[in-house]
Amino acid sequence: MMSLLLELLHDAFFSAIPAFGFAILFNVPKRYLGYCALAGALGHSARTFLMHFNMPIEWATFAAAALVGVITIQFAKRHLAPPLMYAVAAIIPMVPGTYAFNTVIALIQLTAQSQVSPELSAQVIVNGLKTVFILGALAVGLALPSLLYYRNRPII
Amino acid sequence: MYEDNQNDITRLVVRSAQLLLAYGAESDLVEELSQRLGKALGLASVELSISSNALVLTSLVHGRCITTTRRIRAHGINMMVVCELQRICILTEKGIYGANEVRRRLARVEPKTYPAKVVIPVVALSCASFCHLFGGDFMACVLTFIASSVGMGVRLFLAKRHFNLLINFAITAFVTNVIAQLGYVYPVSETPQITLAASVLMLVPGFPLINAISDMVKGHINVGISRWGNASLLTLASVIGITIAMQLGGIF
Repeated sequence: MMSLLLELLHDAFFSAIPAFGFAILFNVPKRYLGYCALAGALGHSARTFLMHFNMPIEWATFAAAALVGVITIQFAKRHLAPPLMYAVAAIIPMVPGTYAFNTVIALIQLTAQSQVSPELSAQVIVNGLKTVFILGALAVGLALPSLLYYRNRPII
Repeated sequence: MYEDNQNDITRLVVRSAQLLLAYGAESDLVEELSQRLGKALGLASVELSISSNALVLTSLVHGRCITTTRRIRAHGINMMVVCELQRICILTEKGIYGANEVRRRLARVEPKTYPAKVVIPVVALSCASFCHLFGGDFMACVLTFIASSVGMGVRLFLAKRHFNLLINFAITAFVTNVIAQLGYVYPVSETPQITLAASVLMLVPGFPLINAISDMVKGHINVGISRWGNASLLTLASVIGITIAMQLGGIF
Protein backbone atom coordinates (compact mmCIF):
# COMPACT_ATOMS: atom_id res chain seq x y z
CA MET A 1 0.00 0.00 0.00
CA MET A 2 2.73 2.41 1.04
CA SER A 3 4.87 1.46 -1.92
CA LEU A 4 1.95 2.09 -4.28
CA LEU A 5 1.49 5.56 -2.80
CA LEU A 6 5.19 6.32 -3.16
CA GLU A 7 5.15 5.07 -6.73
CA LEU A 8 2.18 7.31 -7.53
CA LEU A 9 3.87 10.36 -5.99
CA HIS A 10 7.06 9.63 -7.88
CA ASP A 11 5.00 9.27 -11.03
CA ALA A 12 3.09 12.49 -10.41
CA PHE A 13 6.30 14.46 -9.91
CA PHE A 14 8.04 13.19 -13.01
CA SER A 15 4.99 13.68 -15.22
CA ALA A 16 4.34 17.19 -13.92
CA ILE A 17 7.72 18.26 -15.36
CA PRO A 18 6.95 17.34 -19.00
CA ALA A 19 3.44 18.79 -18.73
CA PHE A 20 4.96 22.06 -17.54
CA GLY A 21 7.73 21.97 -20.16
CA PHE A 22 5.40 21.35 -23.06
CA ALA A 23 2.97 24.00 -21.79
CA ILE A 24 5.86 26.44 -22.18
CA LEU A 25 6.53 25.09 -25.67
CA PHE A 26 2.87 25.79 -26.56
CA ASN A 27 3.17 29.31 -25.09
CA VAL A 28 0.52 28.86 -22.43
CA PRO A 29 0.29 32.12 -20.42
CA LYS A 30 2.42 32.14 -17.29
CA ARG A 31 -0.43 32.16 -14.77
CA TYR A 32 -1.89 28.89 -16.10
CA LEU A 33 1.33 26.86 -16.24
CA GLY A 34 0.85 25.45 -12.75
CA TYR A 35 -2.60 24.13 -13.65
CA CYS A 36 -1.19 22.33 -16.70
CA ALA A 37 1.41 20.66 -14.49
CA LEU A 38 -1.24 19.70 -11.92
CA ALA A 39 -3.55 18.18 -14.53
CA GLY A 40 -0.60 16.32 -16.09
CA ALA A 41 0.45 14.87 -12.75
CA LEU A 42 -3.10 13.78 -11.91
CA GLY A 43 -3.68 12.21 -15.31
CA HIS A 44 -0.46 10.22 -15.49
CA SER A 45 -0.62 8.97 -11.92
CA ALA A 46 -4.28 7.98 -12.44
CA ARG A 47 -3.15 5.89 -15.39
CA THR A 48 -0.36 4.28 -13.36
CA PHE A 49 -2.85 3.57 -10.58
CA LEU A 50 -5.23 1.80 -12.97
CA MET A 51 -2.42 -0.14 -14.62
CA HIS A 52 -1.31 -1.28 -11.18
CA PHE A 53 -4.60 -3.21 -11.01
CA ASN A 54 -3.81 -4.92 -14.31
CA MET A 55 -5.96 -2.75 -16.51
CA PRO A 56 -4.68 -2.73 -20.11
CA ILE A 57 -2.81 0.45 -21.01
CA GLU A 58 -5.39 1.52 -23.61
CA TRP A 59 -8.32 1.46 -21.19
CA ALA A 60 -6.29 3.02 -18.41
CA THR A 61 -5.30 5.82 -20.81
CA PHE A 62 -8.90 6.32 -21.82
CA ALA A 63 -10.06 6.65 -18.21
CA ALA A 64 -7.15 8.94 -17.30
CA ALA A 65 -7.79 11.15 -20.33
CA ALA A 66 -11.47 11.41 -19.38
CA LEU A 67 -10.38 12.44 -15.88
CA VAL A 68 -8.07 15.09 -17.37
CA GLY A 69 -10.96 16.26 -19.55
CA VAL A 70 -13.25 16.73 -16.54
CA ILE A 71 -10.59 18.49 -14.46
CA THR A 72 -9.52 20.84 -17.23
CA ILE A 73 -13.13 21.88 -17.87
CA GLN A 74 -13.31 23.00 -14.25
CA PHE A 75 -10.08 24.99 -14.68
CA ALA A 76 -11.39 26.47 -17.90
CA LYS A 77 -14.63 27.58 -16.27
CA ARG A 78 -12.75 29.23 -13.45
CA HIS A 79 -10.33 31.15 -15.72
CA LEU A 80 -12.46 31.63 -18.85
CA ALA A 81 -9.77 30.03 -21.00
CA PRO A 82 -10.19 27.25 -23.59
CA PRO A 83 -10.04 23.78 -21.95
CA LEU A 84 -7.81 22.33 -24.66
CA MET A 85 -5.07 24.72 -23.53
CA TYR A 86 -4.66 22.85 -20.26
CA ALA A 87 -5.62 19.46 -21.58
CA VAL A 88 -3.09 19.00 -24.37
CA ALA A 89 -0.13 19.93 -22.18
CA ALA A 90 -1.51 17.65 -19.47
CA ILE A 91 -1.75 14.55 -21.63
CA ILE A 92 1.70 14.98 -23.25
CA PRO A 93 3.27 12.60 -20.67
CA MET A 94 0.79 9.92 -21.81
CA VAL A 95 1.38 10.33 -25.58
CA PRO A 96 2.79 6.99 -26.82
CA GLY A 97 6.10 8.38 -28.02
CA THR A 98 8.22 5.31 -27.33
CA TYR A 99 5.71 2.96 -28.95
CA ALA A 100 5.76 5.14 -32.07
CA PHE A 101 9.55 5.27 -31.97
CA ASN A 102 9.87 1.48 -31.64
CA THR A 103 7.35 0.92 -34.45
CA VAL A 104 9.29 3.07 -36.85
CA ILE A 105 12.69 1.70 -35.87
CA ALA A 106 11.45 -1.87 -36.36
CA LEU A 107 9.94 -0.85 -39.68
CA ILE A 108 13.25 0.55 -40.88
CA GLN A 109 15.13 -2.55 -39.72
CA LEU A 110 12.60 -4.63 -41.62
CA THR A 111 13.28 -2.64 -44.77
CA ALA A 112 17.01 -3.01 -44.37
CA GLN A 113 16.78 -6.82 -44.32
CA SER A 114 16.51 -8.92 -47.42
CA GLN A 115 13.77 -11.19 -46.05
CA VAL A 116 10.79 -10.65 -43.77
CA SER A 117 11.60 -11.60 -40.21
CA PRO A 118 8.65 -12.62 -38.02
CA GLU A 119 10.06 -10.98 -34.85
CA LEU A 120 10.42 -7.59 -36.48
CA SER A 121 7.00 -7.80 -38.14
CA ALA A 122 5.46 -8.70 -34.79
CA GLN A 123 7.19 -5.70 -33.23
CA VAL A 124 5.86 -3.38 -35.93
CA ILE A 125 2.31 -4.64 -35.55
CA VAL A 126 2.21 -4.70 -31.74
CA ASN A 127 3.84 -1.30 -31.24
CA GLY A 128 1.94 0.29 -34.12
CA LEU A 129 -1.43 -0.89 -32.84
CA LYS A 130 -0.58 0.31 -29.32
CA THR A 131 0.37 3.73 -30.70
CA VAL A 132 -2.83 4.15 -32.65
CA PHE A 133 -5.14 2.90 -29.91
CA ILE A 134 -3.50 4.93 -27.14
CA LEU A 135 -3.70 8.09 -29.26
CA GLY A 136 -7.35 7.41 -30.00
CA ALA A 137 -8.05 6.75 -26.32
CA LEU A 138 -6.39 10.04 -25.37
CA ALA A 139 -8.29 12.18 -27.85
CA VAL A 140 -11.68 10.56 -27.35
CA GLY A 141 -11.23 10.50 -23.58
CA LEU A 142 -10.47 14.23 -23.61
CA ALA A 143 -13.49 14.97 -25.76
CA LEU A 144 -15.76 12.77 -23.63
CA PRO A 145 -17.22 15.50 -21.38
CA SER A 146 -18.18 17.65 -24.36
CA LEU A 147 -19.57 14.63 -26.24
CA LEU A 148 -21.70 13.38 -23.35
CA TYR A 149 -22.55 16.37 -21.22
CA TYR A 150 -21.94 19.66 -23.09
CA ARG A 151 -23.69 18.49 -26.22
CA ASN A 152 -25.22 21.62 -27.66
CA ARG A 153 -23.90 24.35 -25.46
CA PRO A 154 -20.52 26.00 -25.11
CA ILE A 155 -18.35 24.93 -22.19
CA ILE A 156 -17.56 28.47 -21.13
CA MET B 1 -27.48 47.83 -38.70
CA TYR B 2 -26.21 49.55 -41.83
CA GLU B 3 -24.18 48.23 -44.72
CA ASP B 4 -20.80 49.65 -43.78
CA ASN B 5 -21.34 48.50 -40.24
CA GLN B 6 -21.97 44.89 -41.28
CA ASN B 7 -18.87 44.96 -43.42
CA ASP B 8 -16.83 46.23 -40.53
CA ILE B 9 -18.09 43.66 -38.03
CA THR B 10 -17.61 40.82 -40.52
CA ARG B 11 -13.99 41.85 -40.88
CA LEU B 12 -13.52 41.76 -37.12
CA VAL B 13 -15.08 38.31 -36.84
CA VAL B 14 -13.09 36.84 -39.71
CA ARG B 15 -9.89 38.33 -38.33
CA SER B 16 -10.42 36.63 -35.00
CA ALA B 17 -11.24 33.31 -36.69
CA GLN B 18 -8.11 33.64 -38.83
CA LEU B 19 -5.92 34.27 -35.80
CA LEU B 20 -7.47 31.35 -33.91
CA LEU B 21 -6.82 28.92 -36.76
CA ALA B 22 -3.32 30.18 -37.46
CA TYR B 23 -2.24 29.75 -33.86
CA GLY B 24 -3.56 26.24 -33.38
CA ALA B 25 -7.14 26.25 -32.06
CA GLU B 26 -9.35 23.29 -32.97
CA SER B 27 -12.06 23.85 -35.61
CA ASP B 28 -14.94 23.46 -33.19
CA LEU B 29 -13.60 26.28 -31.01
CA VAL B 30 -13.03 28.52 -34.03
CA GLU B 31 -16.57 27.99 -35.25
CA GLU B 32 -18.12 28.47 -31.82
CA LEU B 33 -16.14 31.61 -30.96
CA SER B 34 -16.71 33.37 -34.25
CA GLN B 35 -20.44 32.65 -34.16
CA ARG B 36 -20.68 33.93 -30.61
CA LEU B 37 -18.61 37.03 -31.37
CA GLY B 38 -20.72 37.77 -34.46
CA LYS B 39 -23.99 37.40 -32.55
CA ALA B 40 -22.69 39.56 -29.72
CA LEU B 41 -21.78 42.32 -32.17
CA GLY B 42 -25.25 42.21 -33.74
CA LEU B 43 -25.02 39.87 -36.74
CA ALA B 44 -28.03 37.60 -37.27
CA SER B 45 -25.87 34.60 -38.06
CA VAL B 46 -22.33 33.66 -38.98
CA GLU B 47 -21.63 30.66 -41.21
CA LEU B 48 -18.15 29.30 -41.49
CA SER B 49 -16.41 26.90 -43.82
CA ILE B 50 -12.98 25.81 -42.66
CA SER B 51 -10.45 23.93 -44.74
CA SER B 52 -6.82 23.16 -44.08
CA ASN B 53 -5.39 26.45 -45.31
CA ALA B 54 -8.31 28.80 -45.93
CA LEU B 55 -11.41 30.10 -44.28
CA VAL B 56 -14.69 31.27 -45.83
CA LEU B 57 -17.07 33.24 -43.64
CA THR B 58 -20.54 34.57 -44.41
CA SER B 59 -22.36 36.98 -42.17
CA LEU B 60 -26.08 37.54 -42.43
CA VAL B 61 -28.15 40.56 -41.35
CA HIS B 62 -31.63 41.48 -42.61
CA GLY B 63 -31.38 38.96 -45.42
CA ARG B 64 -28.13 40.50 -46.63
CA CYS B 65 -25.01 38.35 -46.87
CA ILE B 66 -21.36 39.29 -46.88
CA THR B 67 -18.93 36.52 -47.73
CA THR B 68 -15.22 36.81 -47.31
CA THR B 69 -12.27 34.45 -47.61
CA ARG B 70 -9.01 34.47 -45.73
CA ARG B 71 -5.85 32.48 -46.34
CA ILE B 72 -4.48 30.71 -43.26
CA ARG B 73 -0.75 30.35 -42.77
CA ALA B 74 0.14 28.23 -39.80
CA HIS B 75 2.32 30.13 -37.36
CA GLY B 76 2.95 27.42 -34.82
CA ILE B 77 1.05 26.93 -31.61
CA ASN B 78 0.49 29.91 -29.39
CA MET B 79 -2.04 29.50 -26.62
CA MET B 80 -1.62 33.10 -25.44
CA VAL B 81 -3.34 34.32 -28.63
CA VAL B 82 -6.13 31.73 -28.36
CA CYS B 83 -6.68 32.63 -24.72
CA GLU B 84 -6.83 36.37 -25.48
CA LEU B 85 -9.37 35.83 -28.28
CA GLN B 86 -11.56 33.70 -26.05
CA ARG B 87 -11.50 36.49 -23.49
CA ILE B 88 -12.44 39.12 -26.10
CA CYS B 89 -15.39 36.97 -27.18
CA ILE B 90 -16.69 36.47 -23.64
CA LEU B 91 -16.34 40.12 -22.70
CA THR B 92 -18.16 41.13 -25.89
CA GLU B 93 -20.94 38.70 -25.08
CA LYS B 94 -21.33 40.23 -21.64
CA GLY B 95 -21.70 43.63 -23.28
CA ILE B 96 -18.47 45.07 -21.87
CA TYR B 97 -16.79 45.44 -25.26
CA GLY B 98 -18.34 47.14 -28.28
CA ALA B 99 -17.13 46.88 -31.87
CA ASN B 100 -14.55 49.65 -31.42
CA GLU B 101 -13.05 48.09 -28.35
CA VAL B 102 -12.91 44.68 -30.08
CA ARG B 103 -11.09 46.27 -33.01
CA ARG B 104 -8.54 47.86 -30.68
CA ARG B 105 -7.95 44.62 -28.80
CA LEU B 106 -7.63 42.59 -32.02
CA ALA B 107 -5.06 45.03 -33.37
CA ARG B 108 -3.10 44.64 -30.16
CA VAL B 109 -3.01 40.81 -30.21
CA GLU B 110 0.51 39.73 -30.89
CA PRO B 111 2.06 36.30 -30.45
CA LYS B 112 4.46 36.53 -27.56
CA THR B 113 6.69 33.51 -27.09
CA TYR B 114 8.85 32.41 -24.20
CA PRO B 115 12.55 33.23 -24.67
CA ALA B 116 14.91 30.46 -25.79
CA LYS B 117 16.81 30.51 -22.50
CA VAL B 118 13.59 29.37 -20.77
CA VAL B 119 12.30 26.97 -23.44
CA ILE B 120 15.54 25.00 -23.95
CA PRO B 121 16.11 23.97 -20.31
CA VAL B 122 12.47 23.10 -19.56
CA VAL B 123 12.05 21.00 -22.70
CA ALA B 124 15.36 19.23 -22.04
CA LEU B 125 14.27 18.61 -18.46
CA SER B 126 10.98 17.20 -19.78
CA CYS B 127 12.80 14.74 -22.03
CA ALA B 128 15.07 13.77 -19.13
CA SER B 129 12.06 12.99 -16.96
CA PHE B 130 10.55 10.93 -19.79
CA CYS B 131 13.81 8.98 -19.77
CA HIS B 132 13.47 8.47 -16.02
CA LEU B 133 9.83 7.37 -16.34
CA PHE B 134 10.80 4.80 -18.98
CA GLY B 135 13.35 3.32 -16.59
CA GLY B 136 16.61 4.89 -17.70
CA ASP B 137 19.40 5.24 -15.14
CA PHE B 138 20.79 8.58 -13.95
CA MET B 139 23.52 8.93 -16.58
CA ALA B 140 20.99 8.13 -19.31
CA CYS B 141 18.84 11.02 -18.04
CA VAL B 142 21.83 13.38 -18.03
CA LEU B 143 22.68 12.37 -21.59
CA THR B 144 19.06 12.86 -22.63
CA PHE B 145 19.13 16.32 -21.09
CA ILE B 146 22.25 17.28 -23.06
CA ALA B 147 21.02 15.78 -26.34
CA SER B 148 17.61 17.38 -26.23
CA SER B 149 18.86 20.78 -25.13
CA VAL B 150 21.22 20.87 -28.10
CA GLY B 151 18.38 19.59 -30.31
CA MET B 152 15.97 22.22 -29.03
CA GLY B 153 18.61 24.88 -29.64
CA VAL B 154 18.94 23.71 -33.25
CA ARG B 155 15.16 23.65 -33.65
CA LEU B 156 14.72 27.22 -32.40
CA PHE B 157 17.70 28.40 -34.48
CA LEU B 158 16.18 26.96 -37.67
CA ALA B 159 12.67 28.18 -36.82
CA LYS B 160 13.98 31.72 -36.38
CA ARG B 161 15.41 31.58 -39.89
CA HIS B 162 12.05 30.42 -41.31
CA PHE B 163 13.20 27.05 -42.61
CA ASN B 164 10.50 24.65 -43.71
CA LEU B 165 9.17 22.86 -40.65
CA LEU B 166 9.87 19.42 -42.17
CA ILE B 167 13.52 20.23 -42.84
CA ASN B 168 13.73 21.71 -39.38
CA PHE B 169 12.39 18.52 -37.76
CA ALA B 170 14.66 16.26 -39.81
CA ILE B 171 17.81 18.21 -38.93
CA THR B 172 16.82 18.51 -35.27
CA ALA B 173 16.15 14.77 -35.02
CA PHE B 174 19.50 14.04 -36.67
CA VAL B 175 21.50 16.25 -34.31
CA THR B 176 19.65 15.00 -31.22
CA ASN B 177 20.15 11.38 -32.18
CA VAL B 178 23.84 11.80 -32.96
CA ILE B 179 24.42 13.24 -29.50
CA ALA B 180 22.24 10.61 -27.82
CA GLN B 181 24.38 7.91 -29.45
CA LEU B 182 27.33 9.00 -27.31
CA GLY B 183 25.83 6.63 -24.73
CA TYR B 184 26.86 3.74 -26.99
CA VAL B 185 30.34 5.14 -27.62
CA TYR B 186 31.21 5.84 -23.98
CA PRO B 187 29.79 3.22 -21.62
CA VAL B 188 28.58 5.66 -18.97
CA SER B 189 25.01 4.33 -18.93
CA GLU B 190 23.47 0.88 -18.73
CA THR B 191 20.44 1.90 -20.78
CA PRO B 192 21.62 3.81 -23.88
CA GLN B 193 18.60 2.70 -25.95
CA ILE B 194 16.23 4.59 -23.61
CA THR B 195 18.21 7.77 -24.15
CA LEU B 196 17.81 7.29 -27.87
CA ALA B 197 14.03 7.00 -27.60
CA ALA B 198 13.46 9.69 -24.96
CA SER B 199 15.63 12.47 -26.39
CA VAL B 200 13.62 12.78 -29.61
CA LEU B 201 10.25 12.87 -27.81
CA MET B 202 10.23 16.68 -28.00
CA LEU B 203 9.55 16.22 -31.74
CA VAL B 204 6.33 14.24 -31.25
CA PRO B 205 3.65 16.53 -32.73
CA GLY B 206 1.29 16.13 -29.77
CA PHE B 207 -0.81 19.20 -30.33
CA PRO B 208 -1.52 18.63 -34.05
CA LEU B 209 -2.36 14.97 -33.38
CA ILE B 210 -4.80 15.69 -30.57
CA ASN B 211 -6.34 18.55 -32.57
CA ALA B 212 -6.69 16.22 -35.56
CA ILE B 213 -8.55 13.49 -33.70
CA SER B 214 -10.58 16.02 -31.76
CA ASP B 215 -11.66 17.69 -35.03
CA MET B 216 -12.62 14.38 -36.62
CA VAL B 217 -14.59 13.25 -33.56
CA LYS B 218 -16.55 16.51 -33.56
CA GLY B 219 -17.44 16.31 -37.25
CA HIS B 220 -14.78 18.41 -38.98
CA ILE B 221 -13.52 15.42 -40.90
CA ASN B 222 -11.61 17.18 -43.66
CA VAL B 223 -9.72 19.58 -41.38
CA GLY B 224 -8.98 16.66 -39.08
CA ILE B 225 -7.58 14.54 -41.88
CA SER B 226 -5.38 17.33 -43.16
CA ARG B 227 -4.05 17.98 -39.66
CA TRP B 228 -3.41 14.25 -39.27
CA GLY B 229 -1.53 14.28 -42.56
CA ASN B 230 0.50 17.22 -41.42
CA ALA B 231 1.39 15.57 -38.12
CA SER B 232 2.33 12.34 -39.93
CA LEU B 233 4.60 14.24 -42.28
CA LEU B 234 6.34 15.88 -39.33
CA THR B 235 6.82 12.47 -37.71
CA LEU B 236 8.15 11.09 -40.99
CA ALA B 237 10.62 13.98 -41.25
CA SER B 238 11.98 13.29 -37.78
CA VAL B 239 12.16 9.58 -38.58
CA ILE B 240 14.30 10.35 -41.63
CA GLY B 241 16.68 12.34 -39.42
CA ILE B 242 16.82 9.54 -36.85
CA THR B 243 17.42 6.86 -39.51
CA ILE B 244 20.32 8.74 -41.11
CA ALA B 245 21.91 9.30 -37.71
CA MET B 246 21.49 5.65 -36.70
CA GLN B 247 22.92 4.34 -39.94
CA LEU B 248 25.90 6.65 -39.65
CA GLY B 249 26.38 5.50 -36.06
CA GLY B 250 26.14 1.87 -37.18
CA ILE B 251 23.39 0.88 -34.75
CA PHE B 252 21.70 -1.21 -37.41
